Amino acid sequence: MTYANKSSPWRRIQSGPCIALFLSCLALFFPHLCAAEEFSFDLEEIEKKDLQMGGYLEIRGEHMDLNQGSVFSTLNLADPDEAIVDLLTAAMQLDGSYARGISSLNWQLKAAAQEDTSGWSDMADVYSAYFSLKADPSLSLALGKKSYKWGKGYAWNPVGFINRSKDPNNPEEALEGYITAETDFIKSYQGPLQTAALTLAVLPVWEDINEDFGVSDNVNLAAKLYLLYLDTDIDLIFLGGDSRSDRFGLDFSTNLAPHFEIHGEAAYIPELEKIILEEDNSSSRVEDPAFSTLLGIRYLSANDITTIVEYYYNGGGYSQEEMSRFYQLAAAGLAQDPVLDTTLLDKAREMSLKGYGRPQPGRQYLYSKWTMKEPFDILYFTPGITALVNLEDQSYSISPEGVYNGLTNWEFRLRFSLINGGKATEYGEKGNSNKVELRIRYFF
Amino acid sequence: MPKNRLSHLHIAVALLLLSIAGPALALDGNEILRQVDNNMQPGSYEMYRKLINIEPDGTKKEFVLYTVKTGQDKMVALFISPASEEGRATLRLGDNMWLYIPNVGKPLRITSLQSVTGGIFNNSDILRLDYHVEYEAESISEKEESYQLKLKARTSSVAYDHLQMIVDKKSMLPTSIECYAVSGMLIKTLHYSKIEDFGDGLVRPSVLETESPLHKDYRSLMLFAKVQKKEFADEVFTLNYLSKVNDLRK
Repeated sequence: MTYANKSSPWRRIQSGPCIALFLSCLALFFPHLCAAEEFSFDLEEIEKKDLQMGGYLEIRGEHMDLNQGSVFSTLNLADPDEAIVDLLTAAMQLDGSYARGISSLNWQLKAAAQEDTSGWSDMADVYSAYFSLKADPSLSLALGKKSYKWGKGYAWNPVGFINRSKDPNNPEEALEGYITAETDFIKSYQGPLQTAALTLAVLPVWEDINEDFGVSDNVNLAAKLYLLYLDTDIDLIFLGGDSRSDRFGLDFSTNLAPHFEIHGEAAYIPELEKIILEEDNSSSRVEDPAFSTLLGIRYLSANDITTIVEYYYNGGGYSQEEMSRFYQLAAAGLAQDPVLDTTLLDKAREMSLKGYGRPQPGRQYLYSKWTMKEPFDILYFTPGITALVNLEDQSYSISPEGVYNGLTNWEFRLRFSLINGGKATEYGEKGNSNKVELRIRYFF
Repeated sequence: MPKNRLSHLHIAVALLLLSIAGPALALDGNEILRQVDNNMQPGSYEMYRKLINIEPDGTKKEFVLYTVKTGQDKMVALFISPASEEGRATLRLGDNMWLYIPNVGKPLRITSLQSVTGGIFNNSDILRLDYHVEYEAESISEKEESYQLKLKARTSSVAYDHLQMIVDKKSMLPTSIECYAVSGMLIKTLHYSKIEDFGDGLVRPSVLETESPLHKDYRSLMLFAKVQKKEFADEVFTLNYLSKVNDLRK
């Protein structure tokens, strides 16, 4: 459909200097009357194709000042005397689907190559690839590798029992999935209960299939019952099977006011296995019940500032005392002459891999993010600041950033991160003390 | 009959007439609003829209959306272009709104004044329900060729507290709408134009232009295409279906 067509009243007017002058004046004083003539909406633009392809190309440059002498710079870096690291990463994400009738094949592929001061590395992975059947809107089936993002939290999801862990500094990034067989039933109602939806996912762990999920040769069942009840989203979540211990979860989200949303999650794991470092520097495997919670808000102010704040109690995390013991072990290892004895440092490396070195290994965290939409009339520019605080040891990271997406299909993000804390604290012992990152994405 | 008794009767009759005329006047305004809605779109429908944001230097950014609606307050809008926004979907169920971003993989609750695209359009412009569902006519005035309706939001969750709508008497279609905040500040003015026959008896404007004193020299246009009556199952308007909305397109 083209608006500048022959039937247009403007086209019926014959050209001529007087008329041109008249039209110019009209356009000057009544721009909205002429606006439609400049634009078209062709049916080709909305034609649906069986095969759909998309994705993005990314180039990312990072500069990091290393936190020399810190626990993680010592444990993870080949050269502990290194002061800076410069990284250049090129990445590509390919999304696509092929639909035929009620069936479709969907995929998401990710590949990246990185060059840094220590050399070159690359990766390529299938994030998702699944076949789905949608008999009608209330029932669908899916088989293959699929990514799950269960839970209402923005930065963390304690009820995301079959989610991959996300990076709170980049919570909107795609994540790799697991191979599952899934059914999704949806039912709508009139009354206080508006929607009920049940998602069941069978997740096997066999040789070469979902091996990193847990103990092999088991078939696990994950279930999520979603209810929209009295304008509140509620999920009841369960994971059963022998690859991981059983887990029970509940989450909710609702608007207390039009511009004020509140959400929360609670997860209970009766027997959570954890490897801990004992006082004599030996390690032991313990099973304890773990209860984790998350409470968050999202608020949009009158001047277009969006605030997200989340408090996370990680019941399966390490206490401050347990973390301190680990930092002491690493510090003792550092004090040893590396030529004569590396026993303590090796033990610290082992414990780092077994849990102490994972992101947010502690018990209590606070996440907050403020973004302001288009300040000073700069369209498509969103500055923001993200803070991540370990409430137990008072260490933190603060990341101001600016995102601009004013050019169609381009996104530019410049971010600076300051990572700070005292000795033997989570952010004080990180491998780097700050980072500057420029990320450019082109979507296609 | 004594004179003062007669005047009492006159007053009583006048009051009675006023009491009848008052609601009738209000009813007329709401009735006009219903007619406007009926002329603008069927009860359940699908349509395509193109949003165009134009900056003062002439730079343009375009978005194409596929939208389906059923009943009074169930609506989904799916971005089908540009590539950077493709697959984003917004769902509205009454006052509840959610945004689904494919990479994020789960719907997030959003508010009506948040902007999904940037620019002058916000969620409530993209997921606008029928005018008579969101607004009530407070007053009506009549000119030779148009009605002027003053509309008040029925709830505080509606993005604009009140509207001034000009309705063309002949076509019973809106020509312009001024949108005001609670404070009385003019947030934006909408201009409908280019009446087109969409088929099946639907003859309505195909272009909506927005200007805002808050974004001087910026313009936003919404072009409409393939607005057609279609019935959808209620299950389409649920969080679990948001990732599958594209399957509805033929």
